[in-house]
Amino acid sequence: MENNLPSTAPTRITITLPTNAYFMSGIRDFTLTMIKNTTNFPEKWAFRFQSVVDELCNNAIEYGSAPGSEIRITFVCVKDDYLEIDVEDTGTGKVKMTKEMIEKLYHDRKEPSYVFSGIRGRGLVKIIGEWSDEISFKDRPEGGLIVSVKKYLKNARQTDTLPVSNTQPQTILIN
Amino acid sequence: MITDANITVEDLGTIKIVHITGQLDESNIDEKIQAIYKLVEANPKNLNLIYDLESLEYMNSKSIGYLTDLYGKITESGGKVAIAKAKPNIFDILQVVGLTQLIPCFDSTELAKNSFGPATPAAPVAAATTPATPAPAPAVPPTPATPAPSPEVPAPAPVAPSTPIPAPVAPVVPQPPAQQ
Repeated sequence: MENNLPSTAPTRITITLPTNAYFMSGIRDFTLTMIKNTTNFPEKWAFRFQSVVDELCNNAIEYGSAPGSEIRITFVCVKDDYLEIDVEDTGTGKVKMTKEMIEKLYHDRKEPSYVFSGIRGRGLVKIIGEWSDEISFKDRPEGGLIVSVKKYLKNARQTDTLPVSNTQPQTILIN
Repeated sequence: MITDANITVEDLGTIKIVHITGQLDESNIDEKIQAIYKLVEANPKNLNLIYDLESLEYMNSKSIGYLTDLYGKITESGGKVAIAKAKPNIFDILQVVGLTQLIPCFDSTELAKNSFGPATPAAPVAAATTPATPAPAPAVPPTPATPAPSPEVPAPAPVAPSTPIPAPVAPVVPQPPAQQ
């Protein structure tokens, strides 16, 4: 399937989901297929953004929108330029976060001295943050948050293959 | 609709190979991971464990959090851990979260086994593939090995009534970078 849209016309796809992680397998499949077929991002970035979308949605489902509510995912792609992904929650979930609160949380966890010690907490900084060129947080007027990430194609093309595992162990660092 | 994943344990005596297949995500990880916690509980000392990830298609950050926790439990009791045959996209995610700095990764289970050093004389050599019995998901996830405080979430707030998200009406205006 070839994307024949003009390269400057944004392709915009919005998906609204019930607050339920069971739908995420389908969203991951969609993300992978969409990026492979309608963008010029290297395959590595299709897999990486599959994880980014999954982590964004998991956070929105776990903390931002209550069961019975919903989350919204928006993909915006300008071919040969960038891919942007926004995930919105309704603010009805178990953790009330404002833009300022989540910005502070993100900033704190980006500090080199921060130790990720629990089961959770790696997704926002270690995956979403590492694999995005830009990340921003906005308060929704109706309540809830919008987390937006953006990746520019020119940056994604700097390395276009996935890493391979080593036959020798890497240096082991233990705190 | 729980995502398909399976964890089985191959018992090689002093070495256990954990074969993980399918996709580990938010819908199944809390249940599936119990097979490995049970294995660790049953082998409290000097467990040498290899994760065979050849047929693992996807894993999320929570899965990696569990592997990190298990690594702490196993190594604290004198055991060793290695990863074998991870697909490039899986190795990529293990690498970005830093797990490859803790757990060595190999292209084959043989290389992973060799990394543990010579087997002890008492080790049985017959291999038997035994399906692990999935345990019910715990009400509370297992405690991390490192008892550092986790500022994961602030205190829970009451759940408010659901507020539907209105249909989008305006194009997205790209946001300036906030943190990077």
